[in-house]
Amino acid sequence: MTRTILVTGAGGVGKTTFSAGLAVQAAREGVRTLVVTVDPARRLASALGAHDLGDEPQPHDELEHLWAAMLDSQASWRAVAMRHADPEVATRLADNEFFRAASEHFPASQSYAAADQAATFVQARVWDLVIVDTPPSGGGIDFFTAPAQMADLVGGRLLRWITGGPLPGRRFFYDRAARPMLRIADTILGSDLLQRISEFLLDLRTTYDGVARRGREIETVLREAATLVVTTADPAPVGEAVRFYRQLPEVASTPAAVVFNRVLPTAWATVRPDPDLPVELGRIAEQWSAETVRQADAREEFSSRYGARVATVPWRAVPPTNLAGLAGLMDDAEGIPWGDLLP
Amino acid sequence: MLDKRLVIVSGKGGVGKSVVASGLALLGQRNGLRILAVEMEAGGGLSAHLGAGDPGFEPREVRPGLHVMRMVRSDALLEYLSLQLRLPGMGRLGAVARAFDALATAAPAVREIVTIGKILWEVREDRWDMVVFDAPPTGQIASYLRAPASISELVTTGRIRSQSKWMADTLGNPALTQLILVTLPEELPTSETMETIEWVTRTGVVGPPTVIANRVLEKVSVSSTPQGAVGDMLTLHRSLTEEQERWLAELPPDLTLPYMFGLFTPGEVAAHISDELEALT
Repeated sequence: MTRTILVTGAGGVGKTTFSAGLAVQAAREGVRTLVVTVDPARRLASALGAHDLGDEPQPHDELEHLWAAMLDSQASWRAVAMRHADPEVATRLADNEFFRAASEHFPASQSYAAADQAATFVQARVWDLVIVDTPPSGGGIDFFTAPAQMADLVGGRLLRWITGGPLPGRRFFYDRAARPMLRIADTILGSDLLQRISEFLLDLRTTYDGVARRGREIETVLREAATLVVTTADPAPVGEAVRFYRQLPEVASTPAAVVFNRVLPTAWATVRPDPDLPVELGRIAEQWSAETVRQADAREEFSSRYGARVATVPWRAVPPTNLAGLAGLMDDAEGIPWGDLLP
Repeated sequence: MLDKRLVIVSGKGGVGKSVVASGLALLGQRNGLRILAVEMEAGGGLSAHLGAGDPGFEPREVRPGLHVMRMVRSDALLEYLSLQLRLPGMGRLGAVARAFDALATAAPAVREIVTIGKILWEVREDRWDMVVFDAPPTGQIASYLRAPASISELVTTGRIRSQSKWMADTLGNPALTQLILVTLPEELPTSETMETIEWVTRTGVVGPPTVIANRVLEKVSVSSTPQGAVGDMLTLHRSLTEEQERWLAELPPDLTLPYMFGLFTPGEVAAHISDELEALT
């Protein structure tokens, strides 16, 4: 049974570095681990031993038991829909301008593609542990709702809204005079556009069964996964973290921990600089001391108000970009619930 | 910056674009301008920074002259339809809006034009001196800025096509519209910002963006390092500034905002950013 950890959190909090550190730590303990990341910084990608990381998992050159894969952020549910379309429809869809536009812009598109690929790795049963660094798009939570949204989009909902009734045949859209609603949309959008969209939607709908079935499989994988929320102590990421922490139990599981990244040594909170120090140094010391107090307050508030288990990862001036750096970061981390995370 | 009619603030997620948008809105308000600040999503940072509670689609005055609204696409669509069609009865419009929204899912520029169109319409009306849009992150901003142009390409007839022209003109006029890209002196925000600048320059959908680097630490001039915790703090501080220098050299910003130490409430942060912007501009 493959264990899955989904690492969520706002953009820019160090989620990818933390996911990589988690994977390095697990591999060091002999757990066959795959870390799946989205768009890592170049330096981090090289730390994962990947010369050119792609969507095929690659074993690490130096560290046994560690694999890495990078999700193609350009990949979309387009590929998924094509997979479930019969050849004739697939050809038509491939040329359809709305298909291209919709697959680029459907908000959950990237999340869906990521969830689909991650689920594929979990189902492969090759690894003991799959760590997924979720894409930050759409607030992160849409990683979990994307399969259902995708099925909704492909399925009849759109068409039912347009027609206000049961699914029509292909001819329906040519008979616009009977439908005042469509006449209005016609005035604004132009009749040509309406017709092309409706033809596209009818084609897309033929893929519904396949897409919906796959969506349910993905949802099962996500529901059985352990989750972590990564944040910094800054107000905006904390706000996001609170949202994740409260929403995750509905779509997956109660987060095993809230991981505060870029944490300063707690002893700094009480540092009072020597009055003989140069003024500039005294001011800088006071600033970092105030920052340490603020961080501690943010962690305390999170654990007391939401009953969350809080873990901390120390602040590194330069994010670690090699195995030793990632391993060191995890050695200095505190409160990570390894027992709940490792298989 | 205060002489523009529309300021669009974007940036990679987590760089503090909402706080910059809020700071700018506050600065405008303090200078006696009528300001509309627009945020995209519920629970967005802008309303928290401006103490606006939970604003809706209807602009809410949070201090004299400063209004905050949240973009709600379905409301924007209803408003658009009722202006376009002059139809009585919102119930009927609700069905039309639902159908329209469904259609728009398949032609996404239509969705985005509803958002950017509402904002541009507010710019066009004479109710505000400046509209500050806390816009989607740089990953999505292109589809919003390009929406009027995309519509012209996609729709060959229909009323929406004729409207896309003045929208594109307003966005593309540097005297009216300013794009601000907020960034951090770190690897990923720097590369994403540079990609966005490249795209904007290539397409010309808006004028040259202003780049604001946020959370920039001041350099330490003293070279000695005392023993103990203060020394550790200095060592961290120096390493951080060194790392920041590297990315600031890669992408020299037009303005830099300082790291905000120890401030806690979003309102305090926004007020300080507003002061900083005032000192800078």
